[in-house]
Amino acid sequence: MDSNIETRLIFIAPTSDLTPDRIARFVHNLGNEVTVKETCYGVVLQGPRDAVKRTLDEVRKMDPNRIFSKIRAFPMGDLRRCRAHHGSRPGFAQLEKEWKDLCLVEQGLICVEKGEKPPAPKKRQKIPVNDLKKLIDEVSP
Amino acid sequence: MKIFIMPPNSLILFDLVERFGHEPLSLMKALRDRVTSNEIEAPPLNVTVDDVKLGLKYAGIEIPSGIRGRLAIYGPLIDQAEAAIFMEDAPYSFGCVGCQRTNELAKLLVRKRKVPILSLDYPSNEDEAKDMVVRVKEFLEGLK
Repeated sequence: MDSNIETRLIFIAPTSDLTPDRIARFVHNLGNEVTVKETCYGVVLQGPRDAVKRTLDEVRKMDPNRIFSKIRAFPMGDLRRCRAHHGSRPGFAQLEKEWKDLCLVEQGLICVEKGEKPPAPKKRQKIPVNDLKKLIDEVSP
Repeated sequence: MKIFIMPPNSLILFDLVERFGHEPLSLMKALRDRVTSNEIEAPPLNVTVDDVKLGLKYAGIEIPSGIRGRLAIYGPLIDQAEAAIFMEDAPYSFGCVGCQRTNELAKLLVRKRKVPILSLDYPSNEDEAKDMVVRVKEFLEGLK
């Protein structure tokens, strides 16, 4: 495969009003030489690196703090990964976890945009022994 | 600058690093060349026999081959890294970064290189997320 071809995942944060369908139509209308495929979390783009980058920049303008992206190793529709061909998707659980966190990251980006100083987060603590004992008793009395 | 991210397939870190004007060194890019070559045909295998040998540079012979195979991919990325961002408490039990020992060893290799490192936790609420994004931005801007 041509090394200049890039595959990119575009994620829409759960809080966004955008839909994968709207982004796919928008990408088609841009007329860049990229292939676009709708997914449950956003879209997958594939094409020459420059065209994909240009498309991503345009798509990001639709909702800058709620659109996230990363590249993908496997090409679009690869038989080893594509669900239509019963491919496995071992990384999807991690993507799902991070997708759920995107609404939190969005708040961080808004904070940066406004130039606010973030509140000091509460330090995480270990569970007290007594609480752990109670949990154990509940599960195995 | 080239920033090594941990977990190396993290969407959040990849996006933030790119958004703030740096190049993330990610697992996806490293795997891209491998999965598009003809040598690897069956999932979940993402490394070749040669990769496992290459991994000897980063992990000893007594280390399990799974870790060595992973380090064969992470290692060249770590060698290129000019800075690194670690996100702790990753959902390691999920996905293809399911090997905590590899992650520990990879972090050790990065620390040995004495490059600037930012260690963070996965955010679990808004305040932590705000703090995380601001720290990532300040860290990346400080590198320029």
